[in-house]
Amino acid sequence: MTGPVPPEDKRFYYSLLPFIGVSMIVVLVLAAVLAYYSLPAVKKYGATAILGREWSPSEDNPSKARYGLLIPILGTLATATIAVLIGLPIALSMVVLTEEILPYRYRGLLGSIVDVMAAIPTIVYGLWGLTVLAPLLRETLYKWLHARLGWTPLFACNPFTGTTYMTAGILLGIIVVPYIYAIVREAYRSVPKKYRHGIYALGATRLEAVRLIMGMIRSAIAAAVLLAFGRAAGETVAVALVIGSAFNAPRCLLAPGYTIASLIANQFGESFYYPYMANALYLGGLLLLLIGIAANIAGLRLLGRARSLEG
Amino acid sequence: MKGRLALDKAFTLAVIIVALAGIIPLLHLLATVAVRGGEAILRAGPGFFTELPAPPGSRRLGGAAPALAGSLVLAVMSTAIGVPLAFGAALFLYEFRGTRLARAARAFLMSLLEIPTVLVGILVYVLLVVPLHGQSLLAGSLALAIVMLPYVATYVESALRQVPQTYREAGLALGLTRAQVALRIVAGIARRGILAGLIIGLSKAIGETAPLLFTVGGARSSVNINPLRPGDAAPLLIFHYAQTPYDNWRMLAWGASLVLVAAVLLIYVVAKAFVREVRM
Repeated sequence: MTGPVPPEDKRFYYSLLPFIGVSMIVVLVLAAVLAYYSLPAVKKYGATAILGREWSPSEDNPSKARYGLLIPILGTLATATIAVLIGLPIALSMVVLTEEILPYRYRGLLGSIVDVMAAIPTIVYGLWGLTVLAPLLRETLYKWLHARLGWTPLFACNPFTGTTYMTAGILLGIIVVPYIYAIVREAYRSVPKKYRHGIYALGATRLEAVRLIMGMIRSAIAAAVLLAFGRAAGETVAVALVIGSAFNAPRCLLAPGYTIASLIANQFGESFYYPYMANALYLGGLLLLLIGIAANIAGLRLLGRARSLEG
Repeated sequence: MKGRLALDKAFTLAVIIVALAGIIPLLHLLATVAVRGGEAILRAGPGFFTELPAPPGSRRLGGAAPALAGSLVLAVMSTAIGVPLAFGAALFLYEFRGTRLARAARAFLMSLLEIPTVLVGILVYVLLVVPLHGQSLLAGSLALAIVMLPYVATYVESALRQVPQTYREAGLALGLTRAQVALRIVAGIARRGILAGLIIGLSKAIGETAPLLFTVGGARSSVNINPLRPGDAAPLLIFHYAQTPYDNWRMLAWGASLVLVAAVLLIYVVAKAFVREVRM
């Protein structure tokens, strides 16, 4: 804008500042609160607050209590990784189905199905996962995996229960499908029509065309993977219901475990009876915040690159 | 040549099978919620909406009245707080786009979108629940308002942006201020999209659980709609009752799930009537 700014426009500008201030303040104050309250745990336990594997509260003798977050941290990374490994092929297949295979009038239907997947509250996924998915997986997939692939450490433990790291990962995989789908489909559609026509005119099969187009939008796919990873790492209640809540390292995926978010959901409410436990949980929250923001920044940067390539 | 075509057929088949692997769980989930939830609500009768939960393990079911009333209060209050905030933020992003402040504001809104919602609950717990010595529907509403803020703001902003620039220029040429142009002309033309944003925010507010864990209280021994007292919410009831071994409480969780799913699907259909493409 050139020339002097009319005073009423300036007033408009200033009157809107509080509104954008809210989100900035929320993010900054959240980071400050989490850092402030996790400090006592870091001071007391040092690096073992993050790298320790022991989580043993003690009500009467605080000096005996140990709070190390290593297992929930690894559990978060493991379940989010499984989620992406499962969600990505499903979401990509759905994009190909919508854009290349289905007749035109059914495309909206598949889009609506994915919208419904996104709309269903994650707590309902959790209830379904606990009641239906977990017992089903234990009786079928887990027993099979343990019998056939029990020699690998990943499936070495006997699946005594259906609520495990694997169940949480699979459920999260279903939950993140709509996020991946939305980003990849938008990118897929933004590839100029003339490229697609050119590819098919050269006699390419569907498979060859899809491989070329997916190659063009690979930064968008990478962005979708990162954002979905962040979502999966932060999901709380659905995971808390199906992960089994136990301090086993995720070396074996068929054992019950913990993620940072599900640990907070389970123990934050009672943590104030135990010295330092709340502080350790705030530290976990701080790590979650960092994972979320890192995934977000990296994902949006990749997405920005994908968008500038299209232009 | 034949090999390529056979490979292509195999690829198409694989794509369909893998896509079905994503769709079948959804259909199974919807069917399970409909059957088990319907069973619970039929058994409880109209009392499902008016009664308190029966004691654990009892043969009676009781109802989910505290949770449903609480969810209603939470939905109204969080929308009343969150939507104006989101609208103001969206107006700034639209009107002053390109400024450094707008870029920073967008970055913060986007990171708010990716921050685990349980942390928003912890923030409200520290800033509101601890100083006020108790959880409350108000604290829960505030947490939900923060959670819905980035969704509604990005939705409203994109609705504003779809209005052709010529309308804006015409308004400015008539001598209106930028505020008048934005609020009366652009927002007026984009009202359907803005309404859809409001509805999307509402669906976030009624479905979210994690922001309520440490803020709302889970008080279900009586029906409370006083914002300053602890209350209950349908997602919270599901979370708590799903973890109990009592059949009657688990049935209530399924009943509440059916109500929740029906509500978000209704919201989706309504939003769809306003705008062609809905992003949940």
